[in-house]
Amino acid sequence: MTLSLRAPLMTVAPRATMAVLSLIGVLVGWEILARALASTYLLAGPVDVTRYLIDNSGLMLRALSVTLYEAMWGFVWGNLAGIALAAVVVLVPRFENLVQSLALVVFCLPLVATGPILRVLYGPGLGPQVTLAALAVYYTTFVPTVVGLRATPSTWLDLVASFGHGRWKELTVVRATAALPYLVVGLQIAAPAAFLGAMVGEFTGAERGMGVLAIQAMRSLDVQATWALATVASLVSILAYLVVGGIGKYLWPDRPSIIMASPAQNDGAGRGAKWLKTCGLGFMTLGAVLVLWWGLFELFDVNSFFAKRPMDVWSYLVTSPKALEHRLVLWEAMGETMAFAVPGYLAGLLLGAVLAGVFVLMPNLAGLVLPVSIALRSIPIVTTAPLIVLCLGRGAAGTITIVAVMIFFPTLIACLQGLRQAPGQILDVFNSFATSPLRTLFLARMPAMLPAFFASARMAVPAAILAVTVAEWLSTGTGIGNLMALTTSTSDYNMLYSSIAAVTGLSALAYAAVGALERVVLTIYAPEQVR
Amino acid sequence: MTHFTLPRRRFLQGAAAFGGLALAGPLRAQAAVNFQLSWLPSVQFGGSYIALDKGYWSEEGLEVALQSGGPNAPVEPPVVSGTALMGISAADYTAAAVEQGAPFKIIAVAMQKNPFSIASLPANPVNEPKDLEGKSIGMATSNMPVLQALCEINGVDIDKIEVVPTQYDAAPLVSGQVDCLLCWKTDLPVAMTVAGVENTVMLLADFGYAVHSQTYIATEDAIKNDRATLLSLLKGEVRGWQDYEKDTDAAAALTVEMFPDSGLDLETQKIQAAAQVGLMYSDLTESKGFGWFTEETVAANIETLGLLGRTVSEELWDRSLLEEVHGNAL
Repeated sequence: MTLSLRAPLMTVAPRATMAVLSLIGVLVGWEILARALASTYLLAGPVDVTRYLIDNSGLMLRALSVTLYEAMWGFVWGNLAGIALAAVVVLVPRFENLVQSLALVVFCLPLVATGPILRVLYGPGLGPQVTLAALAVYYTTFVPTVVGLRATPSTWLDLVASFGHGRWKELTVVRATAALPYLVVGLQIAAPAAFLGAMVGEFTGAERGMGVLAIQAMRSLDVQATWALATVASLVSILAYLVVGGIGKYLWPDRPSIIMASPAQNDGAGRGAKWLKTCGLGFMTLGAVLVLWWGLFELFDVNSFFAKRPMDVWSYLVTSPKALEHRLVLWEAMGETMAFAVPGYLAGLLLGAVLAGVFVLMPNLAGLVLPVSIALRSIPIVTTAPLIVLCLGRGAAGTITIVAVMIFFPTLIACLQGLRQAPGQILDVFNSFATSPLRTLFLARMPAMLPAFFASARMAVPAAILAVTVAEWLSTGTGIGNLMALTTSTSDYNMLYSSIAAVTGLSALAYAAVGALERVVLTIYAPEQVR
Repeated sequence: MTHFTLPRRRFLQGAAAFGGLALAGPLRAQAAVNFQLSWLPSVQFGGSYIALDKGYWSEEGLEVALQSGGPNAPVEPPVVSGTALMGISAADYTAAAVEQGAPFKIIAVAMQKNPFSIASLPANPVNEPKDLEGKSIGMATSNMPVLQALCEINGVDIDKIEVVPTQYDAAPLVSGQVDCLLCWKTDLPVAMTVAGVENTVMLLADFGYAVHSQTYIATEDAIKNDRATLLSLLKGEVRGWQDYEKDTDAAAALTVEMFPDSGLDLETQKIQAAAQVGLMYSDLTESKGFGWFTEETVAANIETLGLLGRTVSEELWDRSLLEEVHGNAL
């Protein structure tokens, strides 16, 4: 209904045509740019890439099958873990907050640190690749699945209860059915992420795969190979995204309206009590993290030379004679990182929200730009980060762009969902008063968008940290990402674990801060979300 | 979840060794050993591949698994935790690890000369350290101590050099973003040559930068309690590198053949294999044997390591295994 009311600002063209046009536009632009830069060894165009792919099809297919195999198992294990965690949260609501915070903390752990530990634990083989792929996906599945399991009409639950069934039956029959469409959304986001996780996993000492080829290509000044790899990796990721989405659409045509959960609901307690509760949860999470950290390392008996315990980090940063010096190094690196991460984060969010607004005003533009957006988001950051830095320079612009690219797409999708969510009756009222589309956007649709916007703003916090540290690690050689990478040559694992603790703590705090801001804003504009 | 396939080559080899031993006499069980390499497969480890391919280790009763390295695969953790019996490190990395409490010894030295170089373009070359003044250099910030040491040894004013943090890639030099690069003689310059970009290479080792590279490390515990295995491992390794010197092209071909999925280019591997020879073999190794080091080379290392901020003593090196290997092998 709302669709027909919108005045199209562009000539109407079928979506498929627009997508093809945009694809051709991108290819032509890419080729022209590549030719202009031919002497610089920075960029290979689609013609060269195609030629390379034809000449090396066997090598590429073998590498692709290895990485896809790792990604597939990571996808399976990671999503199973996400679903299991979601089930725990719904079955035992008392654990909800703790499980959610722990899940977030584990998701924030930097790959630079987990890789070597996993390699030592698994030994040779595909273990680290599969595990890193699983770690890359479980959280984005966990969050929407929890929402889905909750989004069960109470009448269904009453029905189950009236038959005398318990919570387990309720979960496996009724809630699971309600959660499926939400799960699909999670799986869709997970598909490209698993591929990226597998590629990064190959950096821990693999002999084959797309990640191995990417490093080899970069080092041998093989621009054709580098861009061919980036192209294949993004095509595969886009395909995975579309296929999972397509299966979901086919099986469950009703897409869920709100993807991400709003933060913990108000239980009617006063402001003071709420603060106490938040602080309590913070301490509980911290305690649980410390116990798990120490306990797991002891359980697997990982050597304390490279697997530092909480006590080691404490003494390194607080009690040792050089603690002040250590803290200063850490502090300075964090400052450098934040100088890139914060602008990139804000730029990505803004770009996502603004584009969503533009798409609602000009729906046909969406068909043109959306495929490019999916592509940008799907290209594994390990291949794009060095390339973006090469093209935009290793100053602020390059790194900030990398962060923004990582963030804007999920924000865009979430905001589009939100904008389309504006109640039809309200839009009808605006329409009957002949309100301009722009005014309708700001007054009616924007408030409807806010919950989705904030949800993606929270999810974007770990994504931004991941992007900035990978860029620093692989390309710019600055900040906390570089500090962590330095460990390879210095064996200063105390600094590595201090960095991990700082990055993880900061991510969790930022996540909580966005959540708090969200509650304030939503209380004004969308009180039904915070109840 | 972990997935392990036995390479066909190794399987055939095992089968052949099995058959040979069965004929020769009582069956000797093959001891499984992990050997941690420091980077992705390339002819950099050509000698080890030869040892594996020709069965030098199975002759010693070892079933050796070569573990590849990578950008996120430090060598020290698997060696310190015993997952790998021996690893390939470098004197500066090992010194840092020992400072952090790892009980490592350097038991042999593959690269007598450190491979670090300054690569530049012939139009604007760096032929000696003094040429660095007034130029911009692309390098990983983690290598700052290397540049500082080079400047100090050669009386170069480091403040007159503009350091640009770059990833490990020749593109910034070729595209004119920097005047020169700090890199290994055996990788980025070789890549440029293969791509048809002429380049000038200045080896740091020719200007007083003495740091043993591609060093073999093992823990004190392994040297004491697993000595026989380490000796066999070193023996096979030395034989592999002796073959390597005689025919580097064959080593390159073997590497490409053994790792068809690693994206290696035969031409690049051949040039790299040849470029490595000058770093690994010298009059010293000709007379004493592959991997050798002396009190003099160790003393020079201690001095350069001092400039890198690492205080070490000659205790870091242990030549006893190598002495036994060459005593028996030669």
